[in-house]
Amino acid sequence: MQILINKSVAFVVTMMTVFAVEAVAQGVSYQRVADMLYLVLSADRAVYTEKVVQRLTLDEQVIMVSEHFEDDAALPLPSQMFRFGSEYVADETEDFSYSLVSLDPINKKNGPGTDLEREGLEFVVDNPDEAFYGEEELGGQLYFAAVYADIAVAEACASCHNNHQDSPRDDLEVGDVMGGVIIRIPVE
Amino acid sequence: MSKSWMVWGTWLLLTLIAIFVVVMWMTVSGDRDLLLIGKTTDAHHQIEMACETCHAAGSFASTKAATKAINKSCRNCHDDELSKADDSHPRKKFRNPRMAAYWEKLDARLCTSCHIEHRPELTRESAVTVAMNFCIACHSEGDQDVRQIRPSHAGLTFDTCASSGCHNFHDNRSLYADFLVKHANDDWLAPSPIHQLSALYLARDQSSNRRLADFKAIAPASSLTDSTVVDDWAGSAHASSDINCGNCHAPGIADNQERLQVEANWVDDPDLGVCKDCHKNETRTFRQGRHGMRQHPKIANPRDTDRQLQQLGLDQLMPAFLKSWFSDPVHPLHMTVAEARLPMHKNASDQVLNCGTCHNPHAVDVRHAAVEACLGCHSDDHSVAYKDSRHYALWQAESSGDAAPGTGVSCATCHMAKVKRRGKITVSHNQNDTLRPNEKMIRPVCLDCHGLSFALDSLADESLIQRNFNGKPSVHVPSISWAVQREKEDEESDR
Repeated sequence: MQILINKSVAFVVTMMTVFAVEAVAQGVSYQRVADMLYLVLSADRAVYTEKVVQRLTLDEQVIMVSEHFEDDAALPLPSQMFRFGSEYVADETEDFSYSLVSLDPINKKNGPGTDLEREGLEFVVDNPDEAFYGEEELGGQLYFAAVYADIAVAEACASCHNNHQDSPRDDLEVGDVMGGVIIRIPVE
Repeated sequence: MSKSWMVWGTWLLLTLIAIFVVVMWMTVSGDRDLLLIGKTTDAHHQIEMACETCHAAGSFASTKAATKAINKSCRNCHDDELSKADDSHPRKKFRNPRMAAYWEKLDARLCTSCHIEHRPELTRESAVTVAMNFCIACHSEGDQDVRQIRPSHAGLTFDTCASSGCHNFHDNRSLYADFLVKHANDDWLAPSPIHQLSALYLARDQSSNRRLADFKAIAPASSLTDSTVVDDWAGSAHASSDINCGNCHAPGIADNQERLQVEANWVDDPDLGVCKDCHKNETRTFRQGRHGMRQHPKIANPRDTDRQLQQLGLDQLMPAFLKSWFSDPVHPLHMTVAEARLPMHKNASDQVLNCGTCHNPHAVDVRHAAVEACLGCHSDDHSVAYKDSRHYALWQAESSGDAAPGTGVSCATCHMAKVKRRGKITVSHNQNDTLRPNEKMIRPVCLDCHGLSFALDSLADESLIQRNFNGKPSVHVPSISWAVQREKEDEESDR
């Protein structure tokens, strides 16, 4: 299972890196590149959530999904799958990065870490159909940043967050903005 | 010539000779002990003469490039075990630019932020070279202030996080809160304590053995005169797996049953590298561990003085006696017991660490390799106390057939972890898999027989460890009760 996950993530990351670098080199705007990266990320996540997790755990009930998926011989949560991809990208390239962050994070390190992250998250909570764009300097490097709303698309998303011991909220409902995806591209 | 010129001339000559010797030591010499700038950490002394392994960026590289090369060399050897440990602070997590604020506090992208080599005056347990309250860097402010998020931690100081049996920087597989809660009600000892993977491994070893007749051994007649060797082989797992004499003593031949081929290619003392052709996983992990790290594929081989001189175009100019002086002594490829930093029996000093040191290649007795082979060299308090321990009594009972496989606890049970993967059980020969921090041992070893609380307490009791667990722990790690308390409070607040 872990090998399959790693290989899938590696393939997607490689294709995304090639695409992102080439797109910027061809003069495509940072905003357009970020939008396209987000489309790939959100599509992959939706496919994993619907075609793998929901189908196997709820419809066919052949396997569980668990935060401790290795101990429980279960599937990783969709948010874990997303983070593994993010870490894989960070290990492979500095050409772009992405993260899943929230104003109400279960793990506090996923709370807003910069002024732009806070501003972007507050914007997408109020405007879930729009993205927030800006620039910020981190570690001496200027980054283009885009924040997109992360919405509870299924009952499982909301209930898991509501019931988690470390969650500051217990009132999330389907359709609520739980947080945001932030994509950063270094500005040359 | 005036006296003054004589003095100056002698000074100049000696200076030039000194410069020449230092430059030769730096560039061509096999042994470079004198250039070491400080004692290396832990078991790294075994590879300290393989300077190029870590200092791979070249003599004139920038500090940034040199640091990058050193950190890459750490990962070359340790990535595998960190990945298996589900590293809580992996480099990839900190490379994301949103973590930039942390880079200035404690740059977790670099191993060298916490582990610096050649600085014995700074080196603490587990080769840590920063103050042991390092958690304070990131977990003491704002939303990350652990004293605020965890009421049980309110009065704690940060120097106890990683030294009390509660947390590790890298490996927390046995320490995370849900795991603690899950095992909160474990008894100190299981009703039928059996180390399951050892039981399966030893049962596999016995069931596969079928004694062959001695005449099945195919070798030159002159090599079949020692009946003990032939008899050992005939009863071994090698014989019952159709591994005949030629497989090791005539490696590379097409058919080990063809006597003429075997005799024509016979080698009396084969390189024990022949083991790796079949025992790939054991060889790979042996080279990652403390007995075989010099043979790790990413460790630079001992420097070849002749080749270095050839590259510099000096091989024809250098007199033979100087060549010999610079190339001798070169550290051997195999570690010897005499080089160990741990206490060892003096009469074992000449032992060279390879497969045959612990495994008789003809008898292939894994039980001998699991205890007596270890105690033949190791003489520290923990090792010496083993034969007075309950664990050894259980091992004796198992070995004599009075108790079931897996009920005994040998040195190898704890320090040579059995690994089950895709239905196959292998023995990791990398002692680091369960060694340090010692909580790494809990899941693959302790929990089969003992409860988590008992295991945590025992491993936090240094005196008990030295007595080889002869007695009960006098230390208590409170993490389980804190995790359970928090769970209760959460349930109550939900009602």
